Amino acid sequence: MSAEFSMTVNGRTVTVDVAADETLLHVLRDELLLTGAKEGCDEGECGACTVLVDGKPVDSCIYPAPAAAGRTVSTIEGLVGSDGSLTPIQRAFVDGFAVQCGFCTPGFVMTLTALIEENSKPTERDIREALSGNLCRCTGYSTIIDAVLTATEERS
Amino acid sequence: MEFRTVGSIEEALACLADVGDEAQVVAGGTDVMIQHMRREINPSLFLYIGNLCEMEGLTKNGSHAIGALTTHRHLATDPLVVAAFPALAEAASTVGSWQTQEVGTLGGNLCNASPAADTVAPLLIADAQVELRRASGVRRLPLDEFLLGRRSTARLPDELLTAVTARPPGERCGETYLKLGRRSAMEVAIAGLAVRLTFDAVGNVESAKVAACAVAPRAYRAVEAESVLEGSRLEEGTVAEAGRALVDSATPIDDARASASYRRHVLPGLLVRAVATCRERAVEQR
Repeated sequence: MSAEFSMTVNGRTVTVDVAADETLLHVLRDELLLTGAKEGCDEGECGACTVLVDGKPVDSCIYPAPAAAGRTVSTIEGLVGSDGSLTPIQRAFVDGFAVQCGFCTPGFVMTLTALIEENSKPTERDIREALSGNLCRCTGYSTIIDAVLTATEERS
Repeated sequence: MEFRTVGSIEEALACLADVGDEAQVVAGGTDVMIQHMRREINPSLFLYIGNLCEMEGLTKNGSHAIGALTTHRHLATDPLVVAAFPALAEAASTVGSWQTQEVGTLGGNLCNASPAADTVAPLLIADAQVELRRASGVRRLPLDEFLLGRRSTARLPDELLTAVTARPPGERCGETYLKLGRRSAMEVAIAGLAVRLTFDAVGNVESAKVAACAVAPRAYRAVEAESVLEGSRLEEGTVAEAGRALVDSATPIDDARASASYRRHVLPGLLVRAVATCRERAVEQR
């Protein structure tokens, strides 16, 4: 039996009809063709699939898709402004060269977007703790943390 | 496979009464989805209870009750929980990552019954009871009796774990949860230890509660170690003796994370650190 439900994705209401045990990640990528969220470990360890559900970061690879019914989902594709402008976190990643291969980047950006929504002036420790569920196999953590610190200092 | 979302506890109980045998209750899904993908479980129905907000949060109404749908993130950050159950809040803050803490729930952690479940040990030292509801009634069971073994609980197929009641530390009492992993995030415990010490007016240990996880098929109270600590002033030799009793009570296994002998080796050290923290916190509280 399939599951038909509606959710709001990047400000747009969408209705999908998918297998009852489908994950949110596969619905986003395969049904809605939003391929920004990546499949890394597929078991909630690496954070490459991080999206926001009702503003909170979740691993979409282990999030039951029909549980998103009626909820608000934000992906990396929804961050860019209608005029093409980047969010402060995105701009910080570009300016701070905080990207190496880029596979983990959407997950990092989404987690950090949730972080600065909660705490506009995070300490280095806050940033490290928030990112504990995001892995970068290029090990480019320092530039990411520096980029966020620079961005949040400039904003304040 | 069907995905059914319920809008009330009653609706969930009616569903479980009907098809409890074939249903898998789902809240955050952080364990269930992985087990389903690995084909370790094969339910014909996912019963989704994640919208039942009446099962969230800490309520103080005579006793302290924590709703089964309270997330790890909530436990780790809600000032009410941090004040009432500091060891539980510490344990919840070590579960997985922000992403999993945001959706993973206390009830899920208990029903999943992993030997390494972080929330169990701090609840065992708080004399926790679980509330199990079914269409025809409710029963309360000590957490110690609810957990039968690795991945095994006393929950019947038509029952829903709705809440956990527990006793906060009293006066002159301190508690803590220490977790050993390879790093301080995204880790399943190699060993975990929850300790609650209550002191008398002159600083002797009046009551000691010690619970260990990841060193046996399920978390358990180390009563022999507790008896060694009780009546003492936490002299170095006494804590070492309690450490030996703790090691004797453990039945760890070798697995990908650590060997059984390593797990035995680290337990006394964890106990030394835990009792020191308990003493500090009991003093701060006075």
